[in-house]
Amino acid sequence: MTTEVAAPTADPHHHLPADLATHFGTDCTTQPTVDGIPTVWVPKAKLREVLRYLKHDAPARFELMFDLSAIDERTRSHRESQPAADFTVFYHLMSLSGDDDIRLKVALADGESVDSIESIYPVANWYEREAFDMFGIRFDGHSNLRRILTPALWEGHPLRKEHPARATEMEPFKMTPEFQKAQQEALRFVPEEWGMSRGTKHTDFMFLNLGPNHPSVHGVFRIALQLDGEVIVQAVPDIGYHHRAQEKMAERQSWHTYIPYTDRVDYLGGVMNNLPYVLNVEKLAGIEVPERAQVIRVMLSECFRIASHLLFYGTFAQDVGQMSPVFYMFADRERLFSIIEAITGGRMHPSWFRIGGVTADLPEGWDKMVLDFCDYMPARLDHYDKMAMRNKILKRRTQGIGAYTVAEGLDWGITGPSLRAAGHDWDLRKKRPYSMYDQFEFEVPTADAGDCYARCEVRVEEIRQSLRILRQCVENMPPGPVKSDHRLTTPPRKERTMQDIETLINHFLNVSWGPVIPPGESATTVEATKGWNSYYSISDGNTMAYRTRVRTPSFPALQQIPLISRGFMVSDLIAIIASIDFVMADVDR
Amino acid sequence: MQWRLVKAEPDAPMQSVDEVYNEEAGKSFLTAKLEDLVAWGRANSIWPFNFGLSCCYVEMATSFTSRHDLSRFGAEAIRATPRQADLIVVSGTVFRKMAPVLQHLYEQLLEPRWVISMGSCANSGGMFDVYSVVQGADKFLPVDVYVPGCPPRPEAFMQGLTLLQESVRNTHRPLSWMIGEDGSVAKYKPSQRDAQTPARMRATTLAEPTTVGDAPLAKDLLGRKRDS
Repeated sequence: MTTEVAAPTADPHHHLPADLATHFGTDCTTQPTVDGIPTVWVPKAKLREVLRYLKHDAPARFELMFDLSAIDERTRSHRESQPAADFTVFYHLMSLSGDDDIRLKVALADGESVDSIESIYPVANWYEREAFDMFGIRFDGHSNLRRILTPALWEGHPLRKEHPARATEMEPFKMTPEFQKAQQEALRFVPEEWGMSRGTKHTDFMFLNLGPNHPSVHGVFRIALQLDGEVIVQAVPDIGYHHRAQEKMAERQSWHTYIPYTDRVDYLGGVMNNLPYVLNVEKLAGIEVPERAQVIRVMLSECFRIASHLLFYGTFAQDVGQMSPVFYMFADRERLFSIIEAITGGRMHPSWFRIGGVTADLPEGWDKMVLDFCDYMPARLDHYDKMAMRNKILKRRTQGIGAYTVAEGLDWGITGPSLRAAGHDWDLRKKRPYSMYDQFEFEVPTADAGDCYARCEVRVEEIRQSLRILRQCVENMPPGPVKSDHRLTTPPRKERTMQDIETLINHFLNVSWGPVIPPGESATTVEATKGWNSYYSISDGNTMAYRTRVRTPSFPALQQIPLISRGFMVSDLIAIIASIDFVMADVDR
Repeated sequence: MQWRLVKAEPDAPMQSVDEVYNEEAGKSFLTAKLEDLVAWGRANSIWPFNFGLSCCYVEMATSFTSRHDLSRFGAEAIRATPRQADLIVVSGTVFRKMAPVLQHLYEQLLEPRWVISMGSCANSGGMFDVYSVVQGADKFLPVDVYVPGCPPRPEAFMQGLTLLQESVRNTHRPLSWMIGEDGSVAKYKPSQRDAQTPARMRATTLAEPTTVGDAPLAKDLLGRKRDS
């Protein structure tokens, strides 16, 4: 089978690369990518300068550092028009004011370090810790460069190519008393390591450990609190208890068999997670998806947005003291799951999208089920408004708590409904429509306060908007196939496989090896349930991804907790955590 | 209670009174071995520890809510501290970073205590055969019931719970070290595969995946096609 190089679609007329070259010299080289995002290799010494320019002085300011991670380049064969490197650190910046993207790359030799950009983009703190943890790349000038996802006593850096992927390739796990004691000891919180004092002249601080198992931290999340009485002086979130190595997994699963893993990244989002991944692979492979498949994808994704928001709504009310709402909302979730089950056969993780389409056509009678739900739900939402949102106690516990402005949110990488709660109207479905979202009528709800209450308000309104989209899906479902004719569509359409020996061979290879995706790099971002979820995949012309980066909205959201909880009481922190709407699998991946 | 009217005959013996007496006595007394009685009580008031790891916990939480209502089995009193609970449901992926914490929590549960391993990850590592995941909770915890699924439906979890209850009811556990052997007791763990397979093999009519709701079954559709 011959591999073909995907036609790079980088816009040669994009002003940014030329702009950077005039400012910083010609050693800033451009690399073509499939997604068309200008990708510029920046000399290590000029990185901070370039970033500072892009953030503050560029014609369109890049307010958001969207993603930062690294690539182990040592075994990659297709590196045309790229400088030599053992490791590459990449920075994906976004300008929301100018609706633009840029990706910067820095080439590093093995063992070489790079300057930290924490002082320019504060959100980089955790991303750099993650890159250090996963690749062993050191960031000079980082305030506290330590492991973040793996246990403190871990040896090696998992995303380096020489690190074993499978647990079964490693020593079997044994829980000896010595091991347990050492691990538990390593978890002890030492305030001095975080530059905290144990008291002032007038007061002794108390240090409280919340988690990793606590009823109100929504999973295995730990946060260490420095308290003055009951007031939070400082908080240190500690993550990594839910690290399922999704990125390493992508380097081992075929392009097709990775789809079920994506479901489990944001485990309340179901097929919503499949969407950016399959869109991205389709971009790399150049597959056009039939309209019917696109609308089915939208419909199921919106079902999951509602399911996820309902769970958020219920647990949010529960965490601030209302016991009943969560029972109502789970009952509604069950109705939704009965639709999802009828269509996909699954509940939480249907893994139903395919490269080039969806698994199967909609079953007979699906439209009635969806319409029934659309008719049933609005009255319930009105009821919940009365029960929860207009409840005086809930208001007093959440209004004015944990507020941030749009600028602060962008500084800390907050996206999606949590940013819209502060007044920013960016919704990727509107601003950069994908999968035919431009054909739908819906509004982008925003709020102004940016506090816990506003974050819930926006999500409740999003449920109503999603119901509108569902109804439009039913009324305008296009006819036609649900899978593309492209030969890399996986699995291929059966009726096209039994024609002659050529089609049979293609089918056999696509099923046994999985598709061979042409070499190239591409990133795709969608408006997921909790914010912007992006998959950045590098194909080396193989049956598996060479590297897949999963950028999730929950990761930066947790990093922001200390900032928005300082000066509040412990009980306010619970409200803040409840309002963030995260799941740990979406944080640690 | 049954009622009947009888004619007042002061000299005749009161037969019906004896009947009522017997009937009431049957309702008011219970004879059983104390050990069985305690086991029965234990089985019907299992208090789970509020512990969740990943996706499975969401399905477990769903089983607590109204449609499934776990309190029907007396197991809805979720405790926030392991010291008040006697069941830990390992619902989700057992991570290497989390395993020492889980072990610590398990040790804090008071005897007698039970472990349900919920979902493929907790059963065997499942689809996550990867460096950060322990390949099954039973690598360090004594698991009583394994619930398969990824994630298991709430119904599957509830079946797991009822199996555990059956095991608790049927496990011989001496009431005191004065009476019988202390420590480990043989557990009642019949193979579910052996028990269920014959019934499952009998299922021959399955719903067609291309229809929903009251839509006809595949065999009806086939029959209709033949007729027309």
